[in-house]
Amino acid sequence: MIDHGLLVQMLIGALLGISVYLPLATGQLSLATPAFYAVGGTLAALLSTRWAALGARVDGSFPLPSFLLELVLGGALAGLLALLVGRLVLRLQGIYLAIATIALVEIVRVAILNLPFTGGAVGIFGIPQPFPTAAGYLPPALALLLLAGWVCQRLEVMALGRAMAAVREDELAARCMGIATTRVKLSAFVLSAVLAGSTGALAAHFLNTWNARQGSFDTAVTMLAFVILGGSRSWLGPVLGGLLLTALPELLRPVGDVRLVLFGLVILLGPALFPQGLVTPALLERLGRWGEGSRP
Amino acid sequence: MIDAVLQTLLNGAASGGVYALVALGYTLVFSVLGVINFALGALFSLGGYVTYLLMGGRISANGALPGWGLPLGLPFTPALLLAALLTGLASLLVERLAFAPLRRRGAEPLLYLITSLGAGLVLVNLLQMLMGAEGYAFPATALAGLPDALQVAGARIRSVQVLLLAVCTAAVIALTLWLERSRSGRALKAVAEDATTARLLGIDSEAMLRLAFLLSGALAGLGGGLIGVSISLPGPYMGIGYGLKGLAVLVLGGLGSVPGAIAGGLLMGLAEALVPADASGWRDALAFAILFLVLLLRPRGLLGRRQVEKV
Repeated sequence: MIDHGLLVQMLIGALLGISVYLPLATGQLSLATPAFYAVGGTLAALLSTRWAALGARVDGSFPLPSFLLELVLGGALAGLLALLVGRLVLRLQGIYLAIATIALVEIVRVAILNLPFTGGAVGIFGIPQPFPTAAGYLPPALALLLLAGWVCQRLEVMALGRAMAAVREDELAARCMGIATTRVKLSAFVLSAVLAGSTGALAAHFLNTWNARQGSFDTAVTMLAFVILGGSRSWLGPVLGGLLLTALPELLRPVGDVRLVLFGLVILLGPALFPQGLVTPALLERLGRWGEGSRP
Repeated sequence: MIDAVLQTLLNGAASGGVYALVALGYTLVFSVLGVINFALGALFSLGGYVTYLLMGGRISANGALPGWGLPLGLPFTPALLLAALLTGLASLLVERLAFAPLRRRGAEPLLYLITSLGAGLVLVNLLQMLMGAEGYAFPATALAGLPDALQVAGARIRSVQVLLLAVCTAAVIALTLWLERSRSGRALKAVAEDATTARLLGIDSEAMLRLAFLLSGALAGLGGGLIGVSISLPGPYMGIGYGLKGLAVLVLGGLGSVPGAIAGGLLMGLAEALVPADASGWRDALAFAILFLVLLLRPRGLLGRRQVEKV
């Protein structure tokens, strides 16, 4: 018997992994994904519980078109926020950018905790369900993942994707070649935010409750681990990392309290054991045409 | 009225002192290795718990060990110093597990971020497993001999905050004197300036690196013990928040700058203390809002050095 809920969680992990991967594909370490995830989730939770026009019913069910609309709106709001914030923070380099995005995550978390309409520490609960069982969330989550993967794959042959790789390899050289590096970095940042926002909207319905803890510094780290342990040279890496590392703490549940220690050990020792991640450039080579475009 | 003003300023300076300790902890490692040790927040928690245990504090470990405690009850000062030393040793272990394997390989700096965070995750969850998730308050007699309040210029102020500020100031002065005056302190600065040249001059840069980790952990442990005794131990995650604030202070002052870390800490502590009580929920965001502004206006921090990118 496969646990459908766990599968949905794993797909959400893979989606968030891709969201962290996108800025990294331009060489920018951004940990802002949890902030955009939280924004998308909070928007969906608010709209579906407070806005009757979306058609939440008393029995806790929710019309599918409204759910899909929320995925779009969650992504759009997160993308808009990324457009505003990205213009400011993407001037920063390296660790400064990472810390600025951690600051963004913390500001969003404290805002959700303290705003008068987001339910405080308890959060928003009783979010209506578009599907009667957890299995119902599998098709939309899978569709979102395939869409994200398709976009990443298309990027490899598009001018934007090639510019992203150029900026990652050498930003100064890319700028000298006439690539608008800031625009390229901003595009990747916004794409990453849109994906995180839509994923948040999906997760809010799936989890049924939503609070400030959903987007914290801890989650930022875990998501980065998806990318690093999976491999940061192709979008397949964060997908694999997200699937495996989301499943791991759940599969370890039988061992009790030690499970989070073991999870920490995997993150601690993983980079030394697999410095290039599980999906290495050599593996991509062997995957042939499908992975060919993914190499730098 | 004067009481309230003085107390507010003192509260700010005291928590600012603790932020400065954490920021200095980051600074020591950053100046030598050029990376940020994200396990520092967890070491802060460890310092708090070890101080508590050394003073004879009881734990229950989620009910597994009701009323268990170490069979000793050290007074606060030796307990705090010993806890700082033990946290420093734990920091050496973090270096060995999270940093040394990657350093030998010459791995990219991004990986240190993951491994040090992993080390922090292990440490926090070990604490949670061994000590339990519940909070602990230090016994009321923890600071026996210290009066509850002091009379300063006609105002009554809480003496715990004075103690906090005094210990932080002493630690910062000791660290600065050591860095400026002693042979080993100068050797550390030489390694921070240029590791290759320092090695050519016969300085054991590996030993200096370990020393930086030891001191960095000790500073975090000191901070944890101080916050524990002045407020309480709210749970193993207590250090994560301080670790993040320390990060904000670090950037505020400029990465790698010792005076910057101290000034940034005080500035941040005072700014937080001035947040009115009815907006206290927003206090935790203030540090990061300030950080955000500083990064946008002065990307190298208030007292940071400018670097020019070369082709």
